[in-house]
Amino acid sequence: MIENASGPIAEHLDSEMNAAQRRLQLVLDAAGAVGGWEWDIANKRLVADARFATITNQDPVELADGVSTDRFFVSIHPDDLKRVKIAVAGILAGSEVFSKEYRLVRADGGYRWVRASGRAVRDDDEEPAKFIGTLIDITEQKRVDEQLRIAQSAGGIGTFEYTVGYGTISVSEQLCRLFGLHPTKILPVRTLNNFIHPDDDPIIDLSAADELQSEGNKEFRVKRASDGKERWLARRGEYVDDVHTSGRRYVGVIFDITEAKETQQSLRQANEALAEVARESLRERDRVWKNSRDLLVVIDTKGVFLDVSPSWLEILGHAPKEIIGKRVLDSVWPEDRDQTRSELNKAADSIHTELEVRMTHNDGSPRIISWMTSREGDRVYAYGRDVTLEKQQKAILEDTELQLRQAQKMEAVGQLTGGIAHDFNNMLTGVIGALSIIKRKIAAGRTDDLDKFIDAATSSAHRAASLTHRLLAFSRRQSLDRKSVDVKQLVASMEELFQRTLGEQIELAINVDEETWKAETDVNQLESAILNLVINARDAMPEGGQLTIETTNVAFTEADLVKGETLQPGSYVVIAVSDTGTGMSQTTIDKAFDPFFTTKPIGQGTGLGLSMIYGFTQQSGGHARIYSQLGLGTTIKLYLPATRETEAQTSLEKEVEVALPRGEGETVLVVEDDDSVRMLLVDTLKELGYRVIEAVDGTRALPIIEGKGRIDLVVSDVGLPGLNGRQLAEIAIAARPDLSVLFITGYAAAAAARAEFLAPGMEMITKPFAIDDFAQKVKEMLTASSSR
Amino acid sequence: MTADTVDLDELERDALTELVNIGVSRAAASLRKMVHREVLLSVPSVEIVTRKSAASLIGQRESESLVAVQQQFEGPFSGRALLIFPQSNGLSLVRAIVGDDMEEAELLDMEDEALAETGNVILNGCLGSMANMLRHGLKMSLPDVRRGDSTLLFEDSDGRGDGGFVLFLYINFSVRERDIRGYIAMIMDLPSLEKLKQLIADFIERVMTETE
Repeated sequence: MIENASGPIAEHLDSEMNAAQRRLQLVLDAAGAVGGWEWDIANKRLVADARFATITNQDPVELADGVSTDRFFVSIHPDDLKRVKIAVAGILAGSEVFSKEYRLVRADGGYRWVRASGRAVRDDDEEPAKFIGTLIDITEQKRVDEQLRIAQSAGGIGTFEYTVGYGTISVSEQLCRLFGLHPTKILPVRTLNNFIHPDDDPIIDLSAADELQSEGNKEFRVKRASDGKERWLARRGEYVDDVHTSGRRYVGVIFDITEAKETQQSLRQANEALAEVARESLRERDRVWKNSRDLLVVIDTKGVFLDVSPSWLEILGHAPKEIIGKRVLDSVWPEDRDQTRSELNKAADSIHTELEVRMTHNDGSPRIISWMTSREGDRVYAYGRDVTLEKQQKAILEDTELQLRQAQKMEAVGQLTGGIAHDFNNMLTGVIGALSIIKRKIAAGRTDDLDKFIDAATSSAHRAASLTHRLLAFSRRQSLDRKSVDVKQLVASMEELFQRTLGEQIELAINVDEETWKAETDVNQLESAILNLVINARDAMPEGGQLTIETTNVAFTEADLVKGETLQPGSYVVIAVSDTGTGMSQTTIDKAFDPFFTTKPIGQGTGLGLSMIYGFTQQSGGHARIYSQLGLGTTIKLYLPATRETEAQTSLEKEVEVALPRGEGETVLVVEDDDSVRMLLVDTLKELGYRVIEAVDGTRALPIIEGKGRIDLVVSDVGLPGLNGRQLAEIAIAARPDLSVLFITGYAAAAAARAEFLAPGMEMITKPFAIDDFAQKVKEMLTASSSR
Repeated sequence: MTADTVDLDELERDALTELVNIGVSRAAASLRKMVHREVLLSVPSVEIVTRKSAASLIGQRESESLVAVQQQFEGPFSGRALLIFPQSNGLSLVRAIVGDDMEEAELLDMEDEALAETGNVILNGCLGSMANMLRHGLKMSLPDVRRGDSTLLFEDSDGRGDGGFVLFLYINFSVRERDIRGYIAMIMDLPSLEKLKQLIADFIERVMTETE
């Protein structure tokens, strides 16, 4: 240094010097260079090198020469100053080691971090004589350390360093936290190892303390010191050369992997559970496949067997391996192949199909297999059941049933014809009886009260006619002609008929409630039903007894009706017919309403009576019940829906003798093969004032129709020998378009198909018919035809 | 640290650490004279904790049973000082001090004696120089050796029943290339601790004015 310098030279030197210092500063910044000092404690002098001077912004020349010791503290950041002073005081008082990190203020106002490391040099009396040390710029390192610290704490990563052979380990605070320990910097290795699960690897294996540890990754469980909880930690790290000793240091990190482990664990458990489910369902599938008694097969979409179940052997006689790989059609009964081919295509196209196919058994016989198929992707899964035996049994059963039905039919026909004959006989008896009385009275000249017997005969004959109607109704299940019916009046009107039917041994009591409501039903059916019940009652009392007919009202509420009862809540008219006869057993009662069930000997009843009555009451919206005890008698009650409606009961009005509509000389052609019927028709028409032409059949009628004579109406039987009534009518209308034709028929089927049978200008009347109705019809048709 | 304790600020903690370092440096110097070997002692950190925390602090770190050299001290601040080692480290220290020549049996015979003597040097040097730096004197009792777990060592043997606090120092020894770790614990009651804090503040004040 040049002292006392002045003038331009000095200025120049100064500026050169500044430039040099600046360069040095830059070099120091770049190199993180080390500056040294020596503090003479006894003489209180500080000597430092140029680098120390530069880094503390002091004059290197002065420091090299020696300055007062307070210059040691120049440029120290005010916040760090006290710390440093205390540490220096410690050294001066006898402390051995000085190691401080602090900030130095830079010339530009910023600061740098430095580490001052020093120690006391002692004199012979062990008293500190000198304090020497070095200063190093650690600004960069500090920043890196800070980044590292933040990274560690953010990542929950603890770090440690282990020098080979040492019993202790340097740890970070975060590492202590991971182990649940108080934060510290050095821990015995054994301390950490003791927290680790005995089955897991220790953090550092002390059994070979002087050898290199395994560098690999480790995972271990620790029991945390703070709360005793078990956590999974992972260790990663590597060896580096130790700069202080000649040994090697293991630098590692520790982090918590408990959650990852737990996730792994639960994943593994879930996987195992899933695998178990899969295994179980596989086992189940195998069991089903092996043990199935039905055929289970897998087919590809080309119709080749991919797999068949072992049941094939039992059902079709082939071992599965003989079948697998073969075409399905080869196993099908030859006659069924064409049909099966299209069915197979269908199975390959649609998701589900069902088919019944005959398959060929190994013994060459066919087996009927009922298949259900289900397609999934390019596989068709089929399930087949051997229904051969079922089919055979079904055929046998059907055959047997057919025979049984035939037998039943024959029996029913026998009963029906017998029963009808019986009922018919009864009615004929009434007619014949009345006629014979009339004949006797005429013979005796007592003609004043003939009407009564004529009425009786007419009534019996009407009933016979209505019996055949009913049979037709029964066979056709004709709907009821429901009207409001005055039941008590009906019963009263039938009293004489009952008397006649019952004979003298049976006492009749009619007990009619004056308040009896009207019933909503078919009057003819009801009449027939009551008569049937009376006849049944009579037959139940061969030795005589009392027969009571009662009418009354009843109103049922929901509560009155037991479960399963067919009656609905409401008002009903009850007609009860009771006898004091033989009565019925419960078994008989149970079957009494069955069709064709009868207790009467064959020929004495149709067995249809009660079942028809039952059906009729049901159809009317009512019910029929039987109350009976063996030896005491039977009461049958009919329940019919009541109506308060008052309507003229035309059909029940006493038949009034009205004047029959008379003809005015019109010409009627009668074609009828039955002589007596033809005679009756001809006589009636003549009496009514018509001109009548007769013909026995169609062949004889044709010339008359084709002739020129006047014909206003043709009355023809339908069932004629040769040319039938319908054909004749067509010819007639073709020849005479204005002509009307009235068909007479007893043929039920024709009557039922009235609409199809009749063309315009044609009408039909069903045998037997009342002359009145016939006269009325004829008159109507002639009137209509003349007005056309 | 709980509310009813004496809390040191960062500077006081630095100052206390420095005081302890001066103490252990003195002790190390004494040991060097005894064993004619390089002995290094350092105190990385100082804490004030409750007795219970001190017991668990050592309990956590040391799994084996402990051996301690114990001395009562009296002065501006009074209490009980403990130099604690894991049992095996204690023996290592004795071996380091007496040298490798001695037979194992002999060593075991004199273990307690050697430990008591070594402990006395360290504790005396440490506490004595601390007191000295704080410009006060301390009266130290004779050392005795205790063995047991950390709870036993920190139990309230003084019978004062005020719970008490522990000035807890973690120290590293390096003797004859052996690493020996140990702890110095100074058990004091609250008034003593407050007095110590006051003395530390005075010390800081002095240091600042002296070097200005």
